[in-house]
Amino acid sequence: MTKKKTSAKKKRSRPLPYRHNHGRGHCVDLLRQLSAYIDDELPSDICREIRRHVGACPNCEVFIASLQHTVTLCRHRPAPQLTSTDRMNMRRAILDAAHAR
Amino acid sequence: MQEPDEFDRLYRDHVELIYRYAHRLCGETEAAKDLVQETFLNAYQGLKDFRGEAQISTWLYTIASRACTRMRRRRKGQPKHELSIEEFVPTSEGEFRLQIPMDGLSPEEALENKELRQALDQAIEKLPPKYRMALVLRDMEGLSAKEVGTIMGLNERAVKSRLHRARLFVRRELSARGITHHDDHTSGDPHS
Repeated sequence: MTKKKTSAKKKRSRPLPYRHNHGRGHCVDLLRQLSAYIDDELPSDICREIRRHVGACPNCEVFIASLQHTVTLCRHRPAPQLTSTDRMNMRRAILDAAHAR
Repeated sequence: MQEPDEFDRLYRDHVELIYRYAHRLCGETEAAKDLVQETFLNAYQGLKDFRGEAQISTWLYTIASRACTRMRRRRKGQPKHELSIEEFVPTSEGEFRLQIPMDGLSPEEALENKELRQALDQAIEKLPPKYRMALVLRDMEGLSAKEVGTIMGLNERAVKSRLHRARLFVRRELSARGITHHDDHTSGDPHS
């Protein structure tokens, strides 16, 4: 009895361990398919399997969210625009070069 | 030689599109302008042979992509290594999440943070060219994997493989950066 209590105490005082050892097994398999998952390109049974895995693996859940955020940021990164002077100068340079050839 | 009107229409309708693509590929203004000029010069000369089998924008993206590859070959020091999935497996707890301020913000609001924009741009710039092109065309220009394949001369499977590695690379670069939260929205022009 005493032994059991001690071991329970010890367990509580330790930080929570990873649910999986990342770099192995399901987590790496999942990593290979994440873009297809985010882009909704996987069959429904594989999506279900991924969701089940993610439900049991907080690290994979965080990882998927971080990849989704990355893609979202890329999709929304504004691009610079040309000034009308740049547009005009470039057009002139292109036509000059074309006529010189 | 083309009718000037025909070229002018092509230029007027697509120069912003190609400049945006060029800037995303090259990462800086002067190189992007060079690429735009090279693209439209080639288009000017090839317009008579364009039969409309692809969309004209796809044709221009293809010309720009090839011109970009040629221009890069002339430069030294461009990273060309392959990216493997295994190198993106996190090895410590801190590597799983992005340390960036996005909670409760729309992507547009998050990108008002200059530090975040710079981190994103630097991550994309660090990508080996073939991966960067796949990411820019698919995730930034918003083309389908099929269109990206047509432009890059790849099948869809290869496009998706490159895109996936590119996304993992950018994610890892961002997760390695701690980005501070700016409450004010005065951190600069979001286009810069």
